[in-house]
Amino acid sequence: MKFRDYYETLGVARGATEAEIKAAYRKLARKYHPDVNKEAGAEEKFKEIGEAYAVLKDTEKRAAYDRFGENWKNGQDFTPPPNWNEGFEYADNGFGGGHPGYGGGFEGDQSEFFESLFGRGNHRQGGRGGQSRQGMNFKGQDHHAKILVDLADAYNGAKRTIALHMPTLDANGHVSTQERKLDVSIPKGIKAGQNLRLAGQGGPGVGQGPAGDLYLEIDFHPNALYRIDGKDVFIDIPLAPWEAALGTTVNVPTPAGSTLELKIPAGTVAGRKMRLKGKGIPSAEPGDLYVVPTIALPPANTDSQKEAYENFGKAFDFNPRSHLKG
Amino acid sequence: MTQINTTWIEASVVENEVHMSIVELSHAARTPQELIMSWVSEGVLSPVGSSPEDWRFSGDSLRRAKTAAHLTHDLELNVPGVALALDLLDEIAQLRSRLLRES
Repeated sequence: MKFRDYYETLGVARGATEAEIKAAYRKLARKYHPDVNKEAGAEEKFKEIGEAYAVLKDTEKRAAYDRFGENWKNGQDFTPPPNWNEGFEYADNGFGGGHPGYGGGFEGDQSEFFESLFGRGNHRQGGRGGQSRQGMNFKGQDHHAKILVDLADAYNGAKRTIALHMPTLDANGHVSTQERKLDVSIPKGIKAGQNLRLAGQGGPGVGQGPAGDLYLEIDFHPNALYRIDGKDVFIDIPLAPWEAALGTTVNVPTPAGSTLELKIPAGTVAGRKMRLKGKGIPSAEPGDLYVVPTIALPPANTDSQKEAYENFGKAFDFNPRSHLKG
Repeated sequence: MTQINTTWIEASVVENEVHMSIVELSHAARTPQELIMSWVSEGVLSPVGSSPEDWRFSGDSLRRAKTAAHLTHDLELNVPGVALALDLLDEIAQLRSRLLRES
């Protein structure tokens, strides 16, 4: 297990006041909030910040944590000494609250380090089956998860098996993680950011109440070929200079798996998009597929290749920097 | 880790096929109805219908309500703060989209 330096995570001194800790947390939380920051790793960072704050904002937890002293560094191998927190009493168990935020609330978000010191939070139990009172019927909790699908799935539709990890609480109050596999039909035309609703697949109902629903937020796997904006898709097609100047025919792979033959007109300029109408993500009004030409220069390695470039230059009275008046 | 059952499931696309009452949206976004009402009065959500009992929220409202709930909880934003943040996030999304299209 690796040690976590919560002061370093928040960028505050070990002697920082509560107000300083709060201000540092707020500033970082705004910066890395996953709804605000779309960079890869932002959500992970946000959770680290939340964990650090959960400890340092709490007087008892902070005092217990401070016992380790300042010689421990982030990432150092660490095992808590036995009875290390003897005599400390915590107002809550781990993160507080079952609110729908990212910071604090999701079982399994805490690091191993945090759990070994402060235990796991005991909220988010995946249903309230044990709390049923006679005659009370409630719909079960709605659950949310994110899943990644391929762009091709949006073009063709697909059946995908997804694995969800759900914390559950047994009769003795112990938390365990259960893997639940669902085979889900991914409908043709799905777009990033949309939600699938799986009726009755959320938390169990209370009494005679129906089960809650499961919402799956869709995003696409990163794709080396295509960029996606809503239902429109973009692909770069590199052209040799002579192809761009004289025109040619190229094969454009579509996300659906087929190939389209596309005529490149003479005098094509890098970046001037060509629209293949209706070849974007399908729907009643399908998106478009945009082909973005780029110019690729072959390297001049051999003498004959160098000569070819020289002849090329001689054939033109061309100064690409004429506008610089240099 | 134990494995439970396997089921085949047809799903509906919330944004295309689903309209929600305030009760359903409150349940799905795990947010009190009063807070949803205050977001409506601030213009964060725009349901169809004259009174809260008649309100029908479009499928897009779920994502918006979830983001609003996250920001309220994680950053302790008040209602006008949530409204401002969502407007700015919309603007950033539009600019990102334009950047992609003009590059």
